[in-house]
Amino acid sequence: MTTLDALLREKVLLLDGGMGTQIFARSPTMEDYGGAALEGCVDLLTERRPQWIREIHESYYRAGSDAVETNTFGANPLVLGDFGLSAKAYDLNVQAASIAKEVARSFDRPRFVIGSVGPGTKLITLGHVSYAELLASYRVQMDGLLDGGADAILIETCQDLGQIKVAVRAAREAMAAKKRRIPLWVQATVETTGTLLVGSDISAVLTSLEPLGIDVLGLNCATGPDEMHAHLQTLSESSPFYLSCLPNAGLPENVGGQVVYPLDPAGFAPKVLHAAKEFGIAILGGCCGTTPDHIRALAPGVERLSAPKRSPKLERSAASLYQSVALKQEPPPLIVGERTNANGSKKFRDLLAAEDWNGMIALAKEQQREGAHLLDVCVAYVGRDETRDADELLSRLISQVTLPLMIDSTEVPVIERALQRAPGKCVVNSINFEDGDARPRRILELCRTYGAAVVALTIDERGMAKSREQKLEVARRLYALAVNEYGMDPGDLIIDPLTFTLGSGDEEFRGSAVETLEALKLIKAELPGVMTILGVSNVSFGLNPAARHVLNTLMLYHGVRHGLDMAIFNASKVIPVAKIDPEDRRSFEDLIFDRRSEGYDPLKVVLARFSGRKAVQVEDHRADRPVLERLRDGILDGEKQAILTDVDEALQDHDPLLLINEVLLGAMKVVGERFGAGEMQLPFVLESAEAMKAAIRRIEPHLPKGGSYQKGRILLATVKGDVHDIGKNLVDIILSNNGFEVRNLGIKQPIEAILKELKAWPADAIGLSGLLVKSTVIMKENLHFMEEQGLKVPVILGGAALTRDYVEGDCRRAYAGPVFYAEDAFEGLRHMQALVAGTTGDVAPVPAAVAAAEIKILKRGGAAVPLTAMGQSSWVRHEEAPPTPPFWGVREDTAATEELFGHLDEFALIRNRWGFAQGSQSDEAFAAVLRDKAEPQLARWKARLVATPMLEPRARYGYFPVRAEGDALQVFDPADPARPLARLVFPRQTAGRRLSLPDFFRADRTDVLALQLVTLGQTAADHAARLYKEDGYADYFAFHGLATELTEAYAERLHARIRRELGIQGRDLPGRALFAQGYQGSRYSYGYPACPDLEGNGPLLDLLGGGEIRVRLSESHQMDPEYTTSALVAWHPQARYFSI
Amino acid sequence: MVKVHFLLEDLLVEAPAGTTLQRIADAAGADITFGCRTGSCGTCRVKIAEGLEHCNDPGTEERDYLRSLDAPPDQRLACQVCVHGDIAVDYLGL
Repeated sequence: MTTLDALLREKVLLLDGGMGTQIFARSPTMEDYGGAALEGCVDLLTERRPQWIREIHESYYRAGSDAVETNTFGANPLVLGDFGLSAKAYDLNVQAASIAKEVARSFDRPRFVIGSVGPGTKLITLGHVSYAELLASYRVQMDGLLDGGADAILIETCQDLGQIKVAVRAAREAMAAKKRRIPLWVQATVETTGTLLVGSDISAVLTSLEPLGIDVLGLNCATGPDEMHAHLQTLSESSPFYLSCLPNAGLPENVGGQVVYPLDPAGFAPKVLHAAKEFGIAILGGCCGTTPDHIRALAPGVERLSAPKRSPKLERSAASLYQSVALKQEPPPLIVGERTNANGSKKFRDLLAAEDWNGMIALAKEQQREGAHLLDVCVAYVGRDETRDADELLSRLISQVTLPLMIDSTEVPVIERALQRAPGKCVVNSINFEDGDARPRRILELCRTYGAAVVALTIDERGMAKSREQKLEVARRLYALAVNEYGMDPGDLIIDPLTFTLGSGDEEFRGSAVETLEALKLIKAELPGVMTILGVSNVSFGLNPAARHVLNTLMLYHGVRHGLDMAIFNASKVIPVAKIDPEDRRSFEDLIFDRRSEGYDPLKVVLARFSGRKAVQVEDHRADRPVLERLRDGILDGEKQAILTDVDEALQDHDPLLLINEVLLGAMKVVGERFGAGEMQLPFVLESAEAMKAAIRRIEPHLPKGGSYQKGRILLATVKGDVHDIGKNLVDIILSNNGFEVRNLGIKQPIEAILKELKAWPADAIGLSGLLVKSTVIMKENLHFMEEQGLKVPVILGGAALTRDYVEGDCRRAYAGPVFYAEDAFEGLRHMQALVAGTTGDVAPVPAAVAAAEIKILKRGGAAVPLTAMGQSSWVRHEEAPPTPPFWGVREDTAATEELFGHLDEFALIRNRWGFAQGSQSDEAFAAVLRDKAEPQLARWKARLVATPMLEPRARYGYFPVRAEGDALQVFDPADPARPLARLVFPRQTAGRRLSLPDFFRADRTDVLALQLVTLGQTAADHAARLYKEDGYADYFAFHGLATELTEAYAERLHARIRRELGIQGRDLPGRALFAQGYQGSRYSYGYPACPDLEGNGPLLDLLGGGEIRVRLSESHQMDPEYTTSALVAWHPQARYFSI
Repeated sequence: MVKVHFLLEDLLVEAPAGTTLQRIADAAGADITFGCRTGSCGTCRVKIAEGLEHCNDPGTEERDYLRSLDAPPDQRLACQVCVHGDIAVDYLGL
């Protein structure tokens, strides 16, 4: 009988399409499910409506499927538990597999049954469910599928790396118990974000699953075939497993509350076949939105494909939850951070004793910044529960640090717990034969079960191997056990031939470095493929820090030349070899290679030369340094946890005022300078400000009575009619953490209120902020008003729409007091510092239009464009007939948070909202910032937004009959197109094209105007307010930026839907161009250059029924809650942004 | 002095060499829409139809933005352009 494996060697296998789609097409009723409480329990229909399931399988087989998937997507005790049906799990799986087998047998040619195992409803990586619970639940399902006769297990639609590994283990154990081995397939679901839901990229998935020896690794769900290309390519190039691809029928869209998939069978099949050829895919099929017709369309093309041949090349790697890291770095070595280790770092040990988990995380991140590729984590500490500590630390570490982990413990239960916690591919540190092979066997068993690499020390029953021969002999024995017996890939066996100190002068160890280096060479030559590692810094124990740096660096250097792949090392302590004094270098190399002669002992030379020498200052380890320097660094590095211990220590013998004035404010000054020079990004600045705030809070109680560190006072407000908070709040953060007292009056402040406050709280300056163009006018009016009141208090202006010319010209002329422009918060700070020091420069108004006077118009071609008889710009050509919308009137729309991610302009978010600017950095340095900081931050936020509901995206949109009448759009009732509903009037350009928005609509017949309104809901606004109030500056800033861009993302998504519904999506450009008007028509929002008057939002909300989704209009005509945006959508091809 | 020709409306303007295109456009009332004016929002993207060599090279932000769109080299963000010789500026729409 043909097996699945045999068939896969011959041809491309065709699977089925969506199961859910087919079930829902039968419109199951409450009766079908067996009661209201069971409604939606699709897995139960196997028992309740077996005939349906039979028919669906049959229809797929008839369409050409070689194999179908069982109706068991959620048939495990955990998911069924939501319906009180846990106990049915086993039976439903047996039944579902049996039904499918029965149908398969009724066909002549070989047909197979694939046991479908879905992701469940709980994410183990986020701690929703315990390892043991999830494993037990999957085990029941696997047992049922095996007993029901499934020909393969397919763990599919995987969103969580941790979950995949548990399900794979459950399948393996079930097969072992039943002595029936069937193929094990895995399919991950890569969201439009480019990662699994929890943030793993596909390389991390591959690296983590590769040691588990599955048979197929592919993709299904989330997107259509096109969006899968990049990930399929990665798998095609690297994965040793068969590749499968079961996409959705395109990216799902929400049309009128219904999920709709855009690709019909004729559109779907060529895309899938193209991907199959391009990437060598062995198994094809469809997921959501695909039907037997989709499979039928695919079948002839699949028949013509021959079994694909690929030559994948897989680098041996380790993986974190997020990313894969090659063990062979170019240039070598891979650096393993050694400071998250209770045996190696006193600081870590202290943090552990205090259970300061955040402090430990900070230490981990510090090593990442310093260049570590992997983190050694050891929480073994006498008197503490190591298993619990590992659990506590790892549960935080895995999501907050993107580096893979090296689990460092001698305790088997600790290692096992750690491997259950860490979702990627870890390295276990370590095994040896000190007490024979029982313990290494247990650990290798764990490595096999959980898919981990291992560090193996050359120690056996005789003790630590000292000669090169003995090291090689033990290495051979390690290889025989791990590779030959336990089937480990040699590239996952990392041999440590041991490093001994040369600092003791002990005769026994004089030649130890030579032996270690030579052993490296022998091991690499004799045991092909294995990796090597050394705990390099052991070589210098007993020497002073200065000598240690040099000796460690040289040992590392020679190690690499002898075949060293990895080093456990403090990355910040690498000195460029070229910078070592040549004489020092000679002595140390003589020490390493034990070159002694009559009257010459390199150790003595080194000891003499380095006695009293200070360590070379290369990013020195914090703990070794004076407390004031550590404080300063705590601010610069934004270590809000770690800084508190330093503050406490510093308070013991330093004046608290001096600490603030000299040390902390001095450090903040450096932060400002670095920001100004483009060397520091805004998110890091905010982390520094958070550390500053934490430090000041700690110091404040110690300040002498009447002792104040504050330099001056400023009143801050966003001006009347403007709700924009963020710019002003950034100014607040920067000023208040640089020694100024800030009273932040909030948004929409009329000048009367600001001046009233000034009377009660005399300040050195008023700071006015606003984002709108209109706010620039209000600011000038405010200054006029203050002038009338005879005030002289200095005013600082800032905001997106302001220009320096305008402030230093127009605004200064309006007011006799000093007026300053602040381009950013730090310029505001400089003005405040100058004001209190009395050193402000020239504050006279810049004479009007100095530069403008030199700009002369030589020719304005052919006068302005004439208006038509209807009063419209003749530049707009009405050549195409208006499209017909699918309905007239208004509908509601909702979207899940994750559905917005696909429309998120990440580029704008990261650069403009989050302020990651390249500035003076090199391209490489900036790319590293994006990769190491910005992108992980985005991945974390996405996971957070999905895991904890903070947004409630809702929208309304609609199509209205309209007609242009000069500068107005006459809007008619969709139900009765003769009845006028509203008249929207717009300004017109006075020169040039003389455009006004109505020009893009027909005056001679009825046209269509689309309106849209999207909001992330009150919860989003509340969440932002809470973060700000709790001083989570960096979080507040990040969330605000993300929410703002997600509001835009929703607007983009809805606009895309409108274009599709109008049938004008054909001109959509690919990629990021969509965010730069890369489509037909335009989306205009009130408050922007083409229609600057916010008053227009009133009629717009009335037309759309904004109240239905709780959007109100503030008295300043802005929409409330925050994170709401509205627009008028024009379909006309010439409609682009323009300025009045 | 340099000459800037705005092709959309056939507007010819003279300005001191080294003036920014944004300032020239503002002073002459040229039909160009600006957004953030800092080189990051991309609203003012235009085509330098002639005299690209008379413009400063894009700074890091502008280059980063234009790269993200795969924009051809003659497209620039008007707010970031410094004019050192005669140029012609074209509109990107239909």
